[in-house]
Amino acid sequence: MTAQLLTSGVIFGLSIGAIFFLMAIGLSLCFGLMRIISLDQLLYYSVGAYFTYSVSVASGSIWLGVLAGVVVGGITAFAVERLIFRRIYERELTFSMITSFGVLIGGIGVIKFFWGVVPRPVPMPLTAQIDIVGTEVPLYRLVVVAIALLVYVGIWLFLNRTITGKAIRAGIENVEHVEGLGINVARLFTITFIIAGALSGLAGGLHAPLIMVDPNMGLEVLAFVFMVVIIGGLGSIKGTLISAFLVGQVVSIGSLIYAPLAQMAPFAIMLLILLIKPTGLYGSALLKK
Amino acid sequence: MMNALRWWWGILLAFSLVALARVIVPLPFVLEVLIFSVYTIGCNFLLGRVGFISFGQPAYLAVGAYGTAFYLFYWGTNPYIGILLGVLSGLVAAAIVGPLFVRLRSDYFALVNLALAVIVYYLMQKVLANITKGDNGLWFLTNIASTPLLDLGKPGHFFIFALLVAIAVWAFYKYLDDTIFGACCLATKINEDKLKFLGYSNYSVRLLAFVIANTTTALAGAMYAVYLGFVSPEITSPSRAADPVVVTILGGTGTLYGPIVGAVAYTGMKDVISKLIGNWELFIGFLLVFIMLAGEKGIWGSLQPWLEKLFVRKKAPPATGEGSGTQQ
Repeated sequence: MTAQLLTSGVIFGLSIGAIFFLMAIGLSLCFGLMRIISLDQLLYYSVGAYFTYSVSVASGSIWLGVLAGVVVGGITAFAVERLIFRRIYERELTFSMITSFGVLIGGIGVIKFFWGVVPRPVPMPLTAQIDIVGTEVPLYRLVVVAIALLVYVGIWLFLNRTITGKAIRAGIENVEHVEGLGINVARLFTITFIIAGALSGLAGGLHAPLIMVDPNMGLEVLAFVFMVVIIGGLGSIKGTLISAFLVGQVVSIGSLIYAPLAQMAPFAIMLLILLIKPTGLYGSALLKK
Repeated sequence: MMNALRWWWGILLAFSLVALARVIVPLPFVLEVLIFSVYTIGCNFLLGRVGFISFGQPAYLAVGAYGTAFYLFYWGTNPYIGILLGVLSGLVAAAIVGPLFVRLRSDYFALVNLALAVIVYYLMQKVLANITKGDNGLWFLTNIASTPLLDLGKPGHFFIFALLVAIAVWAFYKYLDDTIFGACCLATKINEDKLKFLGYSNYSVRLLAFVIANTTTALAGAMYAVYLGFVSPEITSPSRAADPVVVTILGGTGTLYGPIVGAVAYTGMKDVISKLIGNWELFIGFLLVFIMLAGEKGIWGSLQPWLEKLFVRKKAPPATGEGSGTQQ
C-alpha cells in the first residue's frame, strides 16, 4: 500500500465518518432525551438528498440545494413529531422502533411516488483538488469533514451555553426534574426532534454529490449509522463523533486491504465491542434508567 | 378424545381454510403464505412471548436455506435430508450466537441481530463467493431427486408437505404455550425479577426460547430452498430485515394464529398493491404506523375477541360448564 493510496483512503474515511456522524447525532439525541429509537432519521436523510437534487437542478446552485435539504428535513421531522411521535413518547423503546420503521418505509414509498425509482446524480459543488503531502485530494470531502466538525462545535455550544440546550442536557439526565422546574418538556422534545431531522437532512444533502440519490439510500446506510450509535453508546455525542470517524476509517482502510471485508469489518467490531462492553464506548451512565 | 379434539380444532380449522384456499387462489401464493407463516412464528414467539424484537431474522433464514442448498448442490439429492441439515445448521448457528445475544437488552438485541443479518449477507455475497456463487446464487432444482410418497420436486406434493410441517409447527408452539416453559417465557418478558425469585434463570429461559425460535426460522429457510430450487444472498438482504416483524405485528403479536393471518394479509397486499400502484412500501409503512397507533393489536388480535364473543353467544346455552372453546 503506497502512502498516496493511504492518504486518500484516510480522507475518504474521514468524509464518510462525517456523514455518519451528522446522521447518528440525531438518533443519539433522540434516544438520550426522549428515549425513542428514531429510525425515521434515515428518511430525513433521503428527503434532504432528494431536495438537494431537485433544488440544485432548478436553481443551479448545489449549496442552495443542501440548504433546502436541511430546511425540508427539519420541517418533515416537525410534521412527523407532531402527528406520530407525540403519541408514543411514553411507550417502551421497541414500540418507537417499530413505528419509526413504518414511517421510514412509508416515506420511501412517498419518495418513489414523487421521484420514481431511477437513481439521480448530483454534481460536485467543488471540483478543485487540493494537495496533501503529495496526494491530490478532492476539496469537497475536506469541506464535508469541516462542516461536520463545525456542527459538533455548534451542538456543543448549544448544549452548554444556551438555556434550551442546558434544559435538553438536564432532560437527558432526568426528564421529570426538568418538568418540575416549569420547563415545557413537550416543546423541548419538538426542538430536539427538529434539530435531529435537520442534521439528517444536512447529512443527506452533503452525501448526495458523493453517491447516487436513490429511494433506498436510507436503508443502505441504516446498518452503518446504527453501528456508529451503538459503538459510541446511545445518547452520547462525544462517543458518536469518535465512533463515526472510527467506523469511517474501518470502512475505508478495510476496503484498501481486502475489498469484501470493507462492509463486514465494522459489524464484526461492533459485535466485539458490544460483547465486551454492552453499552458502547461512552453509553454507560445513561442506560441505567 | 373430546379434549384432544378441542385442543386441535383451532389449528386444524385454520389449516383446512388454508388448504381450501388452494382451490381458489394460485398455488405459489398459498405456498408463500405457508412458508412465510412458519418464518414469522419464530419472530412472533420472540416478540410476543419473550419480549425480544429481532431485526435479524433473515440471518437465520439464510443459514437454514444455505444449509439445505449446500447439501443439495454439492453432495446429495434427497430433499428431506437437505431440509433436516438446514434445520440442524440453524440449530447450531442459534446455539453459537445465542449465549452472546440473549444477555443484551431488547433494543440492542434487535440491532445486533440486524448486524448479524448484514454480516451473513456479505459473507454469502462476497467472502464465500467461491462456494455460494455470489449474487448468481446456487441453482439445484434439477438435483432434487424424486422421493416416494411425497415428491418434494412437485409443487402439489410440496404443498401437502408444507401444510403438514406448518401444522406440526403450530401444534408445537401451542403445546409450548401450555407448558411451564411457555409460562416462564411470558414471565421473563413481563417481570424478570419475579421469575428469578421463583428460582428460574432468565438467561437459560431466554436462550432456549431463542434457539427454538431461530431453529423454526431456519426450517422456513430450508423449505424456501427446496421449494424455489435456488438460493441467493438476496434472501438475507438487510432491506427485508423487517418483514417478519411487520407481519408479526400485522397479524397480532403473541397470538397463535397471528402469523397466518399476517402472512395472508401481507402476501396478499403485496400482490394486489404492487399490481395497482407499484409501490407497496407506502402502504405497508403507513399500515404499520396505523396499527401501532391504533393499539398494536394487529388483525387477528382485534378480530379474536370479536369472534370469541360471537362464538360464545352462539354456543352459550349448551356449553355453560366448559367455558369458552376458542383458544388463543
